[in-house]
Amino acid sequence: MPIVEFKDVTRVYTSGDHELKALDGVNLSLDEGKFIVVLGPSGAGKSTLLNLLGGLDNPTSGKILVNGQDISGYSSDTLADYRASTVGFVFQFYNLIPTLTVYENVALVKQICADALDPEDMIARVGLSDHLEQFPAELSGGEQQRVSIARALAKNPKILLCDEPTGALDSQTGVVVLKLLLSMARDFGKTIVIVTHNQNIARMADVVVRVKNGRIVSCESQAHPLSAEEVDW
Amino acid sequence: MLTRKLFRTARAYKAQFISMIVMVALGVGVFLGFNMEWYSIERNTGSFFEETKLADYRLYSEAGFSRADLDALLAVDGIDAATRMLSVNVSIQDSEQSLSLNVSEDYTVSTMLVTDGAPYDPEADGLWLSDRFAGANGISIGDELTLAYRGFKITAPVLGLAKSGEQLICVGDSTQVMPDYSKFGFAYLTPKKYRAAILLDFYPQINLRSPLSKEALEAAAAKALGRTIMVVPKEDTTSYGEAMGESKEGKAMGGILPVLFLAIALLAMTTTMHRITANEKRQIGTLKALGFKDRRILRHYASYGFVIGLIGTALGIALGYGICYIIMNPNGMMGTYFDMPRWELAMPGFCWGVLALIVGFMTLISVLSVRKMLSGTAAEALQPYVPRKMRRIALERTPLWKRLQFGTRWNLRDVLRHKSRSAMTLIGIVGCMLLLVGGLGMRDTLNGFLRLIDEDVSNYVTMVSLAENSDADGAMALADALDADWDAASGISVNGKTVMLEIVDNGRDKYRFVDADNAVTPLSDEGAYVCMRLAKDIRVGDTVTFSPYGSSDTYSVKVIGVLRSVMTENLVMSRACAERVGVPYSITTLYTDVPASELPDSSLIASAQSHAAIMETYDSFTQIMDLMIALLIVAAVVLGVVVLYNLGLMSYIERSRELATLKVLGFRDRQIGRLLISQNAWLTVVGVLLGIPAGALTLKLLIDKLAGEYELKMFIGPVTYIVSIVLTFGVSLFVGIIVARKNRKIDMVEALKGVD
Repeated sequence: MPIVEFKDVTRVYTSGDHELKALDGVNLSLDEGKFIVVLGPSGAGKSTLLNLLGGLDNPTSGKILVNGQDISGYSSDTLADYRASTVGFVFQFYNLIPTLTVYENVALVKQICADALDPEDMIARVGLSDHLEQFPAELSGGEQQRVSIARALAKNPKILLCDEPTGALDSQTGVVVLKLLLSMARDFGKTIVIVTHNQNIARMADVVVRVKNGRIVSCESQAHPLSAEEVDW
Repeated sequence: MLTRKLFRTARAYKAQFISMIVMVALGVGVFLGFNMEWYSIERNTGSFFEETKLADYRLYSEAGFSRADLDALLAVDGIDAATRMLSVNVSIQDSEQSLSLNVSEDYTVSTMLVTDGAPYDPEADGLWLSDRFAGANGISIGDELTLAYRGFKITAPVLGLAKSGEQLICVGDSTQVMPDYSKFGFAYLTPKKYRAAILLDFYPQINLRSPLSKEALEAAAAKALGRTIMVVPKEDTTSYGEAMGESKEGKAMGGILPVLFLAIALLAMTTTMHRITANEKRQIGTLKALGFKDRRILRHYASYGFVIGLIGTALGIALGYGICYIIMNPNGMMGTYFDMPRWELAMPGFCWGVLALIVGFMTLISVLSVRKMLSGTAAEALQPYVPRKMRRIALERTPLWKRLQFGTRWNLRDVLRHKSRSAMTLIGIVGCMLLLVGGLGMRDTLNGFLRLIDEDVSNYVTMVSLAENSDADGAMALADALDADWDAASGISVNGKTVMLEIVDNGRDKYRFVDADNAVTPLSDEGAYVCMRLAKDIRVGDTVTFSPYGSSDTYSVKVIGVLRSVMTENLVMSRACAERVGVPYSITTLYTDVPASELPDSSLIASAQSHAAIMETYDSFTQIMDLMIALLIVAAVVLGVVVLYNLGLMSYIERSRELATLKVLGFRDRQIGRLLISQNAWLTVVGVLLGIPAGALTLKLLIDKLAGEYELKMFIGPVTYIVSIVLTFGVSLFVGIIVARKNRKIDMVEALKGVD
């Protein structure tokens, strides 16, 4: 049973007289518990796809079914609830709240999620128990991304959405973060969707979706995905 | 090209640009409004006084001055012009109106400006009447009036209408605060007609123009006349004294409130310009990297402050003229007080300097803000602006911190992280609260003052003014017949200062006195009382020496108490005390419960005013005050809205990334809105708490500045506090909601792009 289904989804951005089709009749089906990588060059529409799935944006036409529910017509409040309960985000630039400590950044989700996981436990799992009281600006990029992963998973979402999660990190740190992301997602049995233009990450995925000019070029399952150690970074 | 950038940047930051312009305009407007007011008063009254040859000094002699006296004075070096005068209050027969009747023998001093009818002719057989009195009572040129003066009836036609500097503020006596032309006016009678009516050459007054000091003139007059003469300078007359008092009040107001507005405008400009240049840091770096010299970039950003200063100042000048016009126009606030021909608005010269300084400051603030961003290499300038790192606050080490909600912690840290923004918000709220408490408190204070006059001091139905020099026994008998308290008011000189001596018999509890705590105080016969203004120099226990007008005799009396004078500066003593001291007196006013209509027909009575009618004369005074307060409240609310909106918007822009993150996490718009509003609410609570004492202090400062004019007791009513708090919270909540609504429009995708 697919957890995500895109049915003829189009997203058109209008700016003055210009129209830009970011997604053009996309049909896509993603299974639960898989590690999916969306690959494509800049401007291909992969972030648009992620934003629509994450409930940050509405499609111009078409349907997006998550768990059998069509989220494309949701109101702003229902979408907020959807984001709170169903999806977790990990961004390229972490997007932590600078005025909250590590603990507070993660504990924040308890304000909106009824079944949030224990923040301290999540922070321990990303190995930052010693940094509970520090502010984001006092952490390295890799550490900040780990907080962001802890925060995303603390919401106990069904789907973890990651937009270039290692894009702002050096390759060594990137690998560490990626490994952590994958192992935690697997431990908690989450579906994980990573948008990237890094081909290496794609080699670790269960499913690779290639996007170009707003269309899905291919959607292939990999029978034997590589582990992080096996990938030549 | 950079000019185009200026306009486009202004469009991008239009809310900030507009709010800064509004703040500068408001500051300049209030500053100019008050300063133009006093300056216009001085200019217009000054030229009117000059035109109608206002006397510099008045010499009084109860026995009258002879022609030889006048000639002796005119021979004195330093006396430029002089005339024998009569200036008395008379009633118009068969009416409730009375007039100040003036006769100027030589008409070289204290003249008038004829506005309609025949030009003044000393040989004419008639009178010239106050044009406003004529207008208010439907009297036309050619109408005949019969005036009652000391038992004489003077019937004369109105030959012309006029205004006079001597009658700029046309009030019957010092108990009347505001002119009421339906009841009291003035007239100039020719000396010929006067002589024909009373068959005498009686002139108890000489008005003269002289640059000499009061002391020098007193000495010269004593030498020329061979006797000591009471000299009253123009400063002690209602028209000149009160006009200068108004100007002084304007200066007092102009020195306090505008400073506050301007300071807030400058502070807000500092914060806003810093934010704009911080946001523009990349562009500044780009310009630098492109090869623009620092000086050129500085000049470009300096032009922001310059343009804001210039537009704000220009609008402020217009606003200042508007505010000044509301006060200074013949039909406006001051028009009910002053009767003068010209109402030209003028700006004091130093204001131009202040305006230039304001524009200069605005430019300087821009320069300083951008200089910080320009420092270092082009590569450094290209780096985005990094706000200061978070530091733990002391509260975080307490157990209380753990119990705070995340929103509270977030807001607390945000307030402390953006100290200048928070401080400015606080100053805006304190400013708003201060103006409201101060303004409404001024109203409370003045209303309390009027209530004091109405309820505590005046316990009579009718105030009867007796004709000048009415015979003592007759007056006393009349007082007994009317069961009246009486007051013998006359001018005296104390330490070279002219004040009022009130000898009072108030055994019937009609006319009362209150102490500094506004408690009604019976007069003791043991000594005299000084008013609070005199009490600054004369202490209880001192012996005060004074001499009455027109007399060289001196008297001494011990001061046994201080009273709050609701009118002029005065020395008060009971009849028994006065008789013991031996000071002569003549009853001037009776206070009785007999209604005006039931008063006996007596030649002693010059005029009668009911308690209600006297209080009515304060109506226009309270109307003026209410309008001023309304202006102040509008200014306070505009100030509050502009400052809070500007800062709220900056806070929102600065936090848009955090807000977008919260949205992405699944926070609803309403939850985020509540978070934003709660920060405003907390700052408002603190601002209100600080604003209350600040408002009370400002009010105290204003009352102290006016202490030379009025003996006001500061009073702030509960309604003032409630209205001020509700309005301030209303402003804060209103702005908070408007800013929080913007949160709905945050584009999560856009806001989360780019570097943190």
